[in-house]
Amino acid sequence: MSNASTLERVSAKAAKSITSSEAFQNHLESLENAPKWLIDLKTEQWEQFSSLPMPTPKSEAWRFARTGNLSLDKYQLSSDLTPSEIEDAQKNSHLIESYSGKMVFANDQLVEKKEATASLSQAGLIWAPLAKAINEHGSLLRKFLLTFTPDLGSEKFQALHGALFSNGSFLYVPVGMEVTLPFVAYHEICGHGAAVFPHTLIIADAGAKVHLVDIFQSTGANTKNFACGMASIFAGAGAQVSYQAIQEWNLETLSFHLNSVSAERDADVQTVTVNLGSHQTRSEQHTCLSGPGSNVDNFSLSVPTGNQEVDQRTLQTHKAPSCRSNMLYKNALMDDSRTIFSGLIKVEESAQQTDAYQTNRNLLLNGSAEANSLPGLEILANDVKCSHGATTGELDKEQLYYLLARGITRKKAEELLVFGFFEEVFSHLENDELREHLNSWIGKKFHVDPPTGNPVTNS
Amino acid sequence: MSSLDIRNLEIHVEGKPIVKDFTLNVPKGEVHALMGPNGSGKSTLAKALAGHEDYQIVAGEASLNGQNILKMEVDEIARAGLFMAFQYPSEIPGVSIANFIRAALTARLADNEELDAARYYRRLYEKMDLLKIDRKFTARSVNEGFSGGEKKRCEILQMAMLQPHFAIMDETDSGLDIDALKIVSHGVNTMRGPDLGILLITHYQRLLDYIVPDKVHVMWDGRIVRSGGKELALELEEKGYDWVKEEVAVV
Amino acid sequence: MPATIEQETTNHSIDFDREVGNFKYKEDYSYDAGTGLNEDTVRYISGVKDEDEWILNFRLKALKVFESKPTPTHWASKDLESIDYSKIRYYLSKGQQPSRSWDEVPDDVKETFERLGIPEQERKFLAGVEAQFDSEAAYSNMKARLAEEGVIFVGSTEGLKEHPEIFRKFFGKVIPTGDNKFSALNSAVFSGGSFIYVPPGVHVKQPLQAYFRINAENFGQFERTLIIADEGAEVTYMEGCTAPKFETTTLHSAVVELVALKGARIQYITVQNWSENVFNLVTKRGMAMEDATIKWIDCNIGSRLTMKYPGVILKGRRARGEVLSIALANNGQHQDTGAKMIHAADDTTSNIIAKSISVGQGRSTYRGLVQIPKHLKNCKNNTECDALLINTNSRTDTYPAINVRGNRNSVQHEASVSKVSTEQIFYMQQRGLSEAQAMSLAVNGFVNDLIREFPMEYSVELKRLIDLQMEGSVG
Repeated sequence: MSNASTLERVSAKAAKSITSSEAFQNHLESLENAPKWLIDLKTEQWEQFSSLPMPTPKSEAWRFARTGNLSLDKYQLSSDLTPSEIEDAQKNSHLIESYSGKMVFANDQLVEKKEATASLSQAGLIWAPLAKAINEHGSLLRKFLLTFTPDLGSEKFQALHGALFSNGSFLYVPVGMEVTLPFVAYHEICGHGAAVFPHTLIIADAGAKVHLVDIFQSTGANTKNFACGMASIFAGAGAQVSYQAIQEWNLETLSFHLNSVSAERDADVQTVTVNLGSHQTRSEQHTCLSGPGSNVDNFSLSVPTGNQEVDQRTLQTHKAPSCRSNMLYKNALMDDSRTIFSGLIKVEESAQQTDAYQTNRNLLLNGSAEANSLPGLEILANDVKCSHGATTGELDKEQLYYLLARGITRKKAEELLVFGFFEEVFSHLENDELREHLNSWIGKKFHVDPPTGNPVTNS
Repeated sequence: MSSLDIRNLEIHVEGKPIVKDFTLNVPKGEVHALMGPNGSGKSTLAKALAGHEDYQIVAGEASLNGQNILKMEVDEIARAGLFMAFQYPSEIPGVSIANFIRAALTARLADNEELDAARYYRRLYEKMDLLKIDRKFTARSVNEGFSGGEKKRCEILQMAMLQPHFAIMDETDSGLDIDALKIVSHGVNTMRGPDLGILLITHYQRLLDYIVPDKVHVMWDGRIVRSGGKELALELEEKGYDWVKEEVAVV
Repeated sequence: MPATIEQETTNHSIDFDREVGNFKYKEDYSYDAGTGLNEDTVRYISGVKDEDEWILNFRLKALKVFESKPTPTHWASKDLESIDYSKIRYYLSKGQQPSRSWDEVPDDVKETFERLGIPEQERKFLAGVEAQFDSEAAYSNMKARLAEEGVIFVGSTEGLKEHPEIFRKFFGKVIPTGDNKFSALNSAVFSGGSFIYVPPGVHVKQPLQAYFRINAENFGQFERTLIIADEGAEVTYMEGCTAPKFETTTLHSAVVELVALKGARIQYITVQNWSENVFNLVTKRGMAMEDATIKWIDCNIGSRLTMKYPGVILKGRRARGEVLSIALANNGQHQDTGAKMIHAADDTTSNIIAKSISVGQGRSTYRGLVQIPKHLKNCKNNTECDALLINTNSRTDTYPAINVRGNRNSVQHEASVSKVSTEQIFYMQQRGLSEAQAMSLAVNGFVNDLIREFPMEYSVELKRLIDLQMEGSVG
């Protein structure tokens, strides 16, 4: 993609900042055949966005996070894509080649789609771009769209997403249907100043089983972008949902990923998030155990380098009895990077026989990296098994000694231990293709010479 | 020259002398047992020889086949041919046994050499069978969640794969039931031969019924106080360590 | 003067505890700053104490800070809003000088402390005692031998007057006025509290004890304690506190500063058993220099709302900080306690063990802060928080904050929440214990490893208090 063409395009259309009401009006006009309920919903969200304050260093929900760089004035909704941008986006989208369905979005516009098989569609499965689903499956969609948001401090950005989102993947799996191969959605961002609002909505009906992977990437390495995505999972009674999100926006991107999981009776949900990109990313995860016997695992791995910041806020709400939730967030920090993990387990009075766990492990691979942990518990029922743990430290000295004592070089030993640290999360990826790509991406990240000169640690 | 040679070694832990004026020569091809009561400095000696940073060697010499190992890094000592079977092997989460041993073998190759994966697995399975380790273990993280016996067998597996010139086996019999002890001993006896020297550190005579030593040394308060043939171990078993203490006190 | 006792009779189903302290004497004060807080109140207090100009200015400045700071309800309990500062009486005293002998203490005050067992404890195992009645110390005495060694143990009013050269050097240095709204309030109206100085190398073997007693309704007690252990010195300080039950709220807002110079050791033990109408909002922090150790042992059983997070600034290399904390929250109580460890030098170590028990509708909260900045190395922190929930509507929260950078530092935080297992209770009942007895045993078992850290005399008392709290909690 050539920069010149992007610049020309932006100036030609004099695109408005996403914070301006003209931008919002233009967006509404651009929606084709939008139903009234959607316009109303979006208008309400826009009003909320406009009235809510920006986070400040004093905001409790932003404790330890950088709030200085959140201004959105410099971003615009992008207009038409150039053919080269479309081509770049398509080229980027081959990480998983065995799938049940695939969609590629560039700046929230669908540029490629592989349909689900006819037998799945005929049995009632819906795999559709959201822009299309809004018109074709409005009544179903309306029941779920933006009904459960994380609300963990990014309400303003969440509202902006609600006002400006236009596309994403919509996956509905009917009662009892089990789909083995994953559905894959690629979200690509192209061009300077572009803002995207990718939306993922998964509805798994009773007893359904499904797996979806979202991959977030940039077509250019140096474009300054804003991404504000939302992924909502609704798992019906006994449904099994597996969701994976790979965040690999370029290092100039400011990103928000505001995700939620709602699990009905005996549902089983597992999410895996891997954060590699963005100069600053805010990842919110609200998991609600709403039906008895439900089980949710949330795994996350972040590998920030340079001066990246990964800001993670999580909430596990136990509303129903006899549920289990488990959260494992691991961060391996290099250079001057920062992470924040702020998690809360909230057990409501009615949620007896709860098992809830939350673990945050931070591996400091450089003395200037900064790890913050705020692991919280609010327990209002008494018959619970609940624990959280947070550790921050360097590679274990004794483990390193053991590897060295087998003749493995220090560099290789450190690399083995660091990748060993990832394994606890990677082992849940359930996809070898994806694992290989991630390993090679992370490998690349580690062999970029950090300022200290040593590829793995500065010790 | 083909020996593990230790002369007048003094080792401190947190500033306190634990091993004092320790001298021992284990020629290649021989198995020597080092016995002694708890706290006599046996494990300190082992970890210090393997280069652990918490153990300061303040005096003396130690060489492997004539090569001074005191100036070497932990991994260099290992690649020079010294293998340490740990009393308490570390758990390494996320690193599979197969990858781990492969990395250790690769580290012993020259830069332009590569490990033949098929041959590697063939050898690995062969040694695992010898030690009665389930082949599924290759995918498991090193020592993580292993029972005491599994950990010790995993140590011997590594020793068999890495083919050292010398091995120091630190209390390899501790925590083993009789069946596991037999398996481990069988594994070690299979490796015995002119190319391998072994220093067997143990508290009890029991292990020596299965791995019969060429020489037995008794350690007390940081130094060797008696040396003899394998019958010394039996004498110790019969009379207990107090007997040694009394003898030392008389001297 | 003849003392009239007003004792309330209670018919609470849970009859524990604080009944020991639930009695009061008629109020009879020579000095009364009236209700409400303004500049005049501050000037009045300073005037009664005949203070130097710099202290008055310090107080007036603090008042401004207090007024400018919002109530921290964005993170803390909304219950703080029910404190009406205009209805509180900020200074009450009989104009007494602290006596060196119990015989000289006014009868009603003496009887108060006798009923609380203070003179008896002093005879048995204490090196010195200070007893504060509302705003001022009524009694203050220390074994003569310690005075000969140069140990100073007096009330803060006396300390400021007699030892300004030591006091002023450290006063307000560990906890600045503006640290939080309540430290500012204390800095404006403080009265009473202890001043202790232990000279280099002196080891005070027996504990020094202070006892804080609130007798008057609508009263605010604002003692200020400063303890300095000079190089290589050692001292243990214990404080206890009670108040009668009143209909209206009472405020206790202390500031306690500890300074442990090179190689010194300070152990500070609190057994807080305020009645359940007391807002107990206390700021406690110590500064540990090279090789020094500061250990807070903090036990909170009483009060309506306690907010207290003892902290240690680990300022010198190899300094060590420790907080051991037990909180028991019963109906109508919120124990919001925790610890702060600020690492500010290499090779420093901190350790936090916090155990809480929530009974009935009680709520216990742990809040913690562990900070290791970038330039430091070889620092360690270990934190364990365990919460026990007794009844279905008991509540517990945990909100730690951990901020780590630097080389070779390691931080571990673990927290767990559990209930007493029905199997365990069944087992004990089968051996003939009542359910309540079994519960008491289980709860004692839960805190036992911490209680062992207390001096003998206190651990017995503490176990008894816990037993009393557990009565009526089951069934």
